[in-house]
Amino acid sequence: MLEGLSALYMREIKRIYRSIYMWIMLVSQPVMWIIFFGSSFSHVPSEFLQEFFHTNNYIAFILPGELSVSMLFVGMFSSMSIIQDKRFGYMKRIFITPVPKYYVFLSKVLGGVTRGLIQVPIMLAVAIALGVSLNLNLVSIVVLVLALAFLGIGFSSLYSVFTLWTSDWQAPGVIANLINLPLMFSSTALFPKAFFPEWLQDISNVNPITYSAELGREVLLSTDPNWSYLGILALFALIMVIIGALLSRKYMTAE
Amino acid sequence: MSVVIAKNLTKKYNDFVAVDHINFQIEKGEIFGLLGPNGAGKTTTIKMLTGLTSITEGDALIGGISIKERPNEVKKRIGWISSEVIVDDDLTAWENIEIQAKLLKVKDWKERADAILEYFGIKEFKNRKAGKFSTGMRKKLEITMALLNSPEIVFMDEPTIGLDVNTRASLWNLIRQINKDYSATILLTTHYMEEADMLCKKIGIINKGKIVALGSPEELKEKYGGDVIEIELKDGLNVELNKFGQVIRKDGKISVKTGNAEEVLLGVINTIGSNNIKSLRIKKSSLDTVFLNLTGGSLEEEGEFDLRKFNMMMRRARR
Repeated sequence: MLEGLSALYMREIKRIYRSIYMWIMLVSQPVMWIIFFGSSFSHVPSEFLQEFFHTNNYIAFILPGELSVSMLFVGMFSSMSIIQDKRFGYMKRIFITPVPKYYVFLSKVLGGVTRGLIQVPIMLAVAIALGVSLNLNLVSIVVLVLALAFLGIGFSSLYSVFTLWTSDWQAPGVIANLINLPLMFSSTALFPKAFFPEWLQDISNVNPITYSAELGREVLLSTDPNWSYLGILALFALIMVIIGALLSRKYMTAE
Repeated sequence: MSVVIAKNLTKKYNDFVAVDHINFQIEKGEIFGLLGPNGAGKTTTIKMLTGLTSITEGDALIGGISIKERPNEVKKRIGWISSEVIVDDDLTAWENIEIQAKLLKVKDWKERADAILEYFGIKEFKNRKAGKFSTGMRKKLEITMALLNSPEIVFMDEPTIGLDVNTRASLWNLIRQINKDYSATILLTTHYMEEADMLCKKIGIINKGKIVALGSPEELKEKYGGDVIEIELKDGLNVELNKFGQVIRKDGKISVKTGNAEEVLLGVINTIGSNNIKSLRIKKSSLDTVFLNLTGGSLEEEGEFDLRKFNMMMRRARR
């Protein structure tokens, strides 16, 4: 039954790990963020960091935030993969078989999430190399990966939904411009909520990236995670993937 | 036994009728050609028969199963070869085949795939990326994928379009081979007269969404054929040639349709006067003249005209 889904998912994975350019991007993008953006607060007094960021190392603060933001960006790759298959005719090859359309949707979402999760060990290693002390154990790693996977499923589903009925190359870029920056800056991925005006705090409270970033900080930097955040992220993933699967059955086009 | 029965098959895009109530049957083991210019409705017909697009009116039975009511059952029983070769260039030939087999839920596909690859002489390259294959090898890989599930019918949508003369000739041999050795029933679309004439046992001529004639190449030539004398006259000249056959005037040219061109040629030249003739050519009875007789235009001319019109219609329909 799931053979078709697994075949399509493995295709996505093979296309990721066989592309040197994909690896360059997967490694360079988060490393750049951590090294350049993370170092931008290096000369800020540690009392300030401690008071507002609850850590004396800004890299430690943005690491879970940047991991979460990278799951937002991989959503774009899911939608680009859909467009590519439509443009090169491969979607027709899939649609000519009895495989359900929502399998195609799910394979793109899971492919995007896997792509994002590949970045986790890379970023953790870079952070440790830059002197960040992390609370790494089986529970913290599993919770972090689950939180990021849920976030990735949600955003990959959202992106993929926008490209179900189009084959326009420009579509993923337009969507990214419309939603990536507002979602990133209205979350607590880069700065604490205390910095925000009230209206931005309200948005932050309903932004899934906030919950992923906060949960990531709690498991990596302290030992007292708020487990309800994981439930919120799971619910976000579930709702988005159900919406996407239902829409793909009706609206996903081969061209 | 009919493998395909199309009954009043119709596709509309808003007000534009791409395929208009067409009917035909394809018998087991037959190579059936759908011949027509670009934009005539050939690809849309294949898309409807394979479940790639919805059917507006009518239905089609593939192996006795309605594509409208049970598309997934039909999809398990068909093979498909696109006009552009569609394989994943980033994957090896074997990986491409594996995905196709799993999507089609084919059991024990490995032995069959190996046998077909061997038959086509590309087995030793199965672990090479498809992107490194030549056009001919890619086409063979695509045909391998289409034959994996022992399909009751293989749909080939303009299989030789864009290929050079040599590759086209070798693909014709390949089509004949798989028809014979794999007992594959084939529906192919083409706008090449010689392709349809050479390969197909039965031909449906489609123009502007309608099937205008149906039969074997020989039957069509006998029924609708005849020679055509095509004359280009000097400007402003208007002569009466009806006594020599049916006359069609189009784009400054006169086409005289007649049973045997040689018998009336002298009379035609004398009537016009040799000094008034800019050019003259005789087309012997062929599918081209069949098409001309049926539609009043040559396949190439119709193709250019319809392609623009069809694209325009499609753009409008997608808005």
